[in-house]
This record gives sequence, structure tokens and C-alpha cells, in this order.
Amino acid sequence: MTSPRNRSFAALLGAALLLPLTACGSGDSGGDGTLTYRLWDDQQKAGYQKVMAAFEKANPGVRVKIELLPYDQYWTKMTADAVAGTAPDVFWMQTTQFPEFVTKGVLADLSPLGLDAAKYHPNVVQSYTYKGKLYGVPKDFGIVGLLYNKDLFKKAGVPDPDKLTWTPDGSGSLLETARKLTVDDKGKHPDEPGFDPAKVKQYGFASWNHYQTQWMNWVNSNGGKLVDQPFGKYAFNDDASVQALQFGVDLVNKHHVAPPAAQTNPPSDKINEMFKRGQVAMFPANNALLPFVTPGASFKIGIAPMPTGPAGRSVNINGLSEAVYAKSPRKEAALKLARYLSGPEAQKIMADDGHVFPALNGLSQGYVDFWKRKGLDVSPFLEESRGTTFNLPVTTGFTAFENKLNQTFNDMYLGKLTPKQAADRAVADGNALAK
Amino acid sequence: MTSDAGHLTGRTADTSPGPQPDSSSDLRPDAPPGSRSDAPPGPKPEPTPGPAPEPAPEPPSGTGSRTTKATRKRHRPTRHWYAYLFIAPSLFGVFAFLLLPLLIVFVLSLFHWELLSTPTFAGLANYRRLAGDGGTWHSVWVTVLFVLLSVPLQTVLGLLLALLLNQRVKGVAFYRALFVVPWMATPIVMGVVWTWIFDPRDGALNRVLDVVGVAGPNWLTDPAWALPSVALVNVWQFSGYTMLFFLAGLQGVPQELYDAAATDGASPVQRFFQITLPLLNPTTFFVTVTNLVGAFQIFDTVYAMTDGGPGNGTEVLNFRIYETAFRQFDFGYAATLAALLFLLILAVTLAQVRFFSKRTTYDLS
Repeated sequence: MTSPRNRSFAALLGAALLLPLTACGSGDSGGDGTLTYRLWDDQQKAGYQKVMAAFEKANPGVRVKIELLPYDQYWTKMTADAVAGTAPDVFWMQTTQFPEFVTKGVLADLSPLGLDAAKYHPNVVQSYTYKGKLYGVPKDFGIVGLLYNKDLFKKAGVPDPDKLTWTPDGSGSLLETARKLTVDDKGKHPDEPGFDPAKVKQYGFASWNHYQTQWMNWVNSNGGKLVDQPFGKYAFNDDASVQALQFGVDLVNKHHVAPPAAQTNPPSDKINEMFKRGQVAMFPANNALLPFVTPGASFKIGIAPMPTGPAGRSVNINGLSEAVYAKSPRKEAALKLARYLSGPEAQKIMADDGHVFPALNGLSQGYVDFWKRKGLDVSPFLEESRGTTFNLPVTTGFTAFENKLNQTFNDMYLGKLTPKQAADRAVADGNALAK
Repeated sequence: MTSDAGHLTGRTADTSPGPQPDSSSDLRPDAPPGSRSDAPPGPKPEPTPGPAPEPAPEPPSGTGSRTTKATRKRHRPTRHWYAYLFIAPSLFGVFAFLLLPLLIVFVLSLFHWELLSTPTFAGLANYRRLAGDGGTWHSVWVTVLFVLLSVPLQTVLGLLLALLLNQRVKGVAFYRALFVVPWMATPIVMGVVWTWIFDPRDGALNRVLDVVGVAGPNWLTDPAWALPSVALVNVWQFSGYTMLFFLAGLQGVPQELYDAAATDGASPVQRFFQITLPLLNPTTFFVTVTNLVGAFQIFDTVYAMTDGGPGNGTEVLNFRIYETAFRQFDFGYAATLAALLFLLILAVTLAQVRFFSKRTTYDLS
């Protein structure tokens, strides 16, 4: 039998098919002197074009080809390239993927560069350290802060949310502020009689199933623990963590100050849209989101530190690194580029153009100044980065776990699982997948 | 998005409703009968009275009494060696991108192979694991449900649209194009757009339902509605595409048959069921086979709209393959799942071939 459609079989064979395709796709293009540098952020690409131009000028004979891959395809392609042995010479690495790649020997040990770890943000260094060695040039850090809609605060006559606090039982200024900014179609607030949670026009707060900007922050600022140690086991089903999870869920289902999970559960990015449209007053977000949020917003955006919990304020910091491919045929040149990217010249360009907070200490002011010129005071992010911060869990198998975790917590935010049930299940799933 | 690469290429390759370069000759539903190479080049396929102008019977190749054009055509190249030259490029494609990967998948499924580790021979261990893997059988069930929810509907809708747009009305070309647009759009993008439409509070769908006094459900987070919602998007996407083939098929039905039937006093409904539908069988066969194959491989819509959720409510087999290969890096087992999907599709397709081969006439003259 001949199939009427070749595509059927071709598509069916996704995994195997990808290998030969990618094998001829990338990696060894452009001859000996050309390095391939891969990233996923098209905003930052502009910055790196400047950086690479400067690098090429300082290193005659070495050229760099920048390869942009959308984030959705980035790790799939990266995985396939690593398998096929055709990974780019230098590429972006992020914390959740790092354990998988470093334990499989894809990443080059960067100790030959002799970088001084003390000069970089400690979280970023820690994220890319494996068995005492650094496997990535600390590139930048993104940190979670509280974006808010200044116009809505002004209209409601509520002071800016600079010093919010929260506790699991609902006392604290976060909930109080969120209530004042939550309004139904008759103008009622959640603590007033006659308030209809099904007809809310404007929500005070964005509480939703997003680990990086949401519940992991609540867990840490309530004294809970995500993992017992780097490359260890998940542990967020202890009492403090479960209380913190309950708090996040209560904001939605009990206090009605955040949109229902049926709207916000991933893979939907509805919450982002709602904030941009002025339907949500406060929105915890990573500073990396600024270039994407600010252009579409028709109101003044304010930035505040994340609310302080019972155990203080602890916010997620997520640093990226520049990884060198262990099997690069141009390793010497690749290390040269890595060294350049680790230095003040490259990192300053990225900061001054408002792309990132550089991981290298002492350059962050350039980033702050850039956004000040755009009318945005991003210094609260910087202030947070000097306080207590935490990394995303560093364990193997996170990529396999991520979707399961999201699905389980989706049910928790919908109220179908209690936080204790959801946390127990997620911890068990995660630990089963960690190798 | 690995698995949709082939998906897209395939679907893009057949934009034209006319003869398809890659729809193998034995399955061509839409070719006017006389235009094939087995008709003498001179005469046009105008109605030939009397028995069909079949060439003298050739020895059938194992199919018993039924001599189909397909079997004859397969023999022809042996007499014209240079024909191979013409199909060589396609043959290379079939081998390099179809048979070889297929073989690789089956070989891979016999190995334990995680990212970058050395593959180790595992015999049938992956298949034994498959037998006890409840999650995968759940995915098979979800996939079958998805197929049942989408394929019949999109086939019937495609046919109805074709009947509607097979008339000589003003602007018909515009409408034909309009219904094909969903199929040309990127599935991921369409998936995102549909999540907006399905939003329970301010999505267009529930807003409309609200106007007529119906409280719409939480389409994508309610386990009862998530799969039908995704299936609906598939129906929307492929009904127009299906229509294209039915349109081509309809144009191959000789008008004389209708005229004769009308003379005999057959009602429009009778004409549809006695003439149109039976004579469309080659098209229907082709369309159901391709739609089924496509539906069994659904991935991008699920990926964009639900990520397999709620829970694992929309975790179709192809999504599970993706998760296993590219999120768990378990390539050996992913290959086993791909082999399972292949065998499923093969079984269903063979069943269709059997069903239709008894009921299909390719020669309409």
C-alpha cells in the first residue's frame, strides 16, 4: 500500500527525522573562522549584534554568526543538535535546562577562563556551577518585581504598593490593597455585600499558576523550600510551602481579587493581556518582560518590590549564562568569545541598551538609566537583587517534570486539588523524574 | 515542533485542488477518467456509450477478479524503464524521508537511548514497558476520541460546503478561497487565537452564548469540554481543505447522469444519494484516509491550546511522543510510541482500503 500522503509518515517519525535534518542544518557552516552564537530573544539580538561587532574588531579573523531561534523551538533544536553533535559553538543556557546538559557532557568546563566568581551575581554563579566548576559565563539576571498600573491606583486613591506584606491567613496590606482595586460591574469591592465574583470588571492582583513569578516566591517568603539542595530532591510539600500555595489559590477562589484559573491557567498567557488592557492592577513579572509589556500599555507602569511574607522577602532570580559547546571544533575561538562575553565591555553594551541586568557587578546602573529615559523607574528590581533571592530549582529532569507540574497546579488553582494534594503529587512526580 | 514539520509540508504541498503530484496514482480521486494515460491521447473523455473503454484485461496481480487501474499502472514502468528516471527524484524523497526514518524508528524502538548516552540494545523491553504503560493507552484512547470527534464532522461539512460552492453563483471563487484560509494559517497561531475565543469570561464564544441566555462552560479547563474544543478547531481548520477535494470530485461527475436521472423523475435528494454520493466514492475514500491520518497525528493545536491538559485530558499520542522525546529525552521509548502510532494508522488505513475497494468505481464514463 502506498500512503496518499507522505507527510503522515514523515511527521510520525519526528524524532528520527530530526536528526538527519538538523545534521545538515547548522553547526558547521561558514568555515573555520566563523563561530555560531545562538540565542532566543529577538529584542536582545540587536544588542548582541553590537557586541559581536566589537568582538570581531578586537579579534581579527574570527567572525560570529548570530542564530536566533524562537524559545518554543530552542530547546527541542538544542537537544537534537546535541545528539547529532552539531550544537552551536556558544549558546544561551538557562537554569532549568542546565542540569540536563551539564550532566550529559554537552557543556565545556570554563575553568580555563579563570573567571573571578566574586565579580558576578552569586545566584547566577551558583546556577551554573556543577561539582565545583563553572560551566557557563554568567551573562545576566532577570528578577521578579511587582508591576502595577499607576493610573488605576491613582483613580482608586490608593497609595502606590511600595511596601506590601502578606501572610497566609490573609492579613497584610497586599490583600487589603488588592481588594480596593477589585471592582465588579456595580462598583462593589470583594468585602462589600452584593459583590458578584462572576462579574468582576477589574482585578486587584494577578495570582495564577506561574512558578517563576508566583507560587515559588510565596513558598520562599513563607520559609518553605523548593528543593533540599542543588541537584537534590523537591521538597515543597512541607507545611510552610503548602500554606504559601494556599495563599496564592485563596487570592483567586476565596478572596476573588484575581481572575479565575479557567482564564489564566497556562498555556494561556491571558493574564499578560489583562494587565496590558488595564483589567488587572498588580502583576508580578520578571524584568525581562518589560520590553514586551511597555510598548502595548496605554497607562503608566509602576514597579515595586515584591510583597514581603512572614519569612521576609525572597524573590526569584533567574540568570542566564553563555555556554560553550564541549565538542566545538573551534573551541579555542569559542572560549575567546566566552571570555569576551564575560567582560565589562560586552556586558556594559547589554546593560546600557536596556536589555538586561548584567551578571557582572557594577554595571547595572546603565540598565536603570536606560529605562529612566523611557520614564520607568526599575531601581526596585535592583534593590531586590541585593536582598534575599532564590534560584529556580536546579535538578535534572525538570524539563520532563515541568508540564506535569503545571497540569497538577492548574487543577490546584481551579480548586480541584487542595494545595496539600497538589504539592504531594507534584513532589512525588518531580522526584520520580529527577535522575 | 518536530512532528508538525512533515504535517505542514504535506499539507502545503497539495494546495491545488487538481491532480496531486504526491497523491499516488492509485488513489487519485479527482482525475477525470479519460485524461489518464491509459486512454488514447486523441479522443476526449466525452461520454462513451456502452461499456467502459477498459483496455483488454491484463493478468491481474493477485487481486483476483478485480483489475484496478492501480495494479495495471504499477506494471507499466517495467515496460518503460525511463519512467523510473522521471520518478527518481520522488523515489529518493520517499526513501530518504519516509522509508529510512521509518526503519530508524523501528530500530530505535529496540534500544534504550537517552540524550547523549550510548544507545544500548534492549530487545523488546520498550514494548513490554508499553504494554503496562497506562498513560500511553490513555493517550491512545484520547487520540481515538479526537479522531471520532473531528473526522466525521469535517468530512460531512467539507461535502456540504462543496455542494454549496459547486454552483454558479457570483463570488463563488471568493468563498472557496475563504474556507481554505483556516487550513493555510499556522496551526500554532490559530490555536492561540482560538484560546482567546474560548476564554470563559470575555471570549467571543461565551459572549455570544450569553446573549442567547446560555452559560458557556470553561471550554479549555473543563475535562468534559477540552477535547471537543480542540476537535472543533481541527474541524474548522480542515473542513475547507476537505471541501477542495469534494469540489474537484463533483466536477468529475458527468452532467448527463443528472440529466438522465431528472428525465426519469428523480428528486434532488435521490439524485444526491443515487448519483453524487456513489460517484464521489474515490474522493470520499481519499479524504477520509488523509483526514484520519492527519487527525491521528494531531499535535500543534493541542500544544498551543492545552499542553495536554486539563490533567491529561487532551494528551493525544503525538503529544506524548513529543514529551517523551524532547522533554524526557527518552528517545528509545519515544520511538516505540511512534511505532505504535504508525501501526495504529496503518491498521485504520488498511481497514478503509478494504471498505472502499468494494464500493468504489474510478471509471465514471
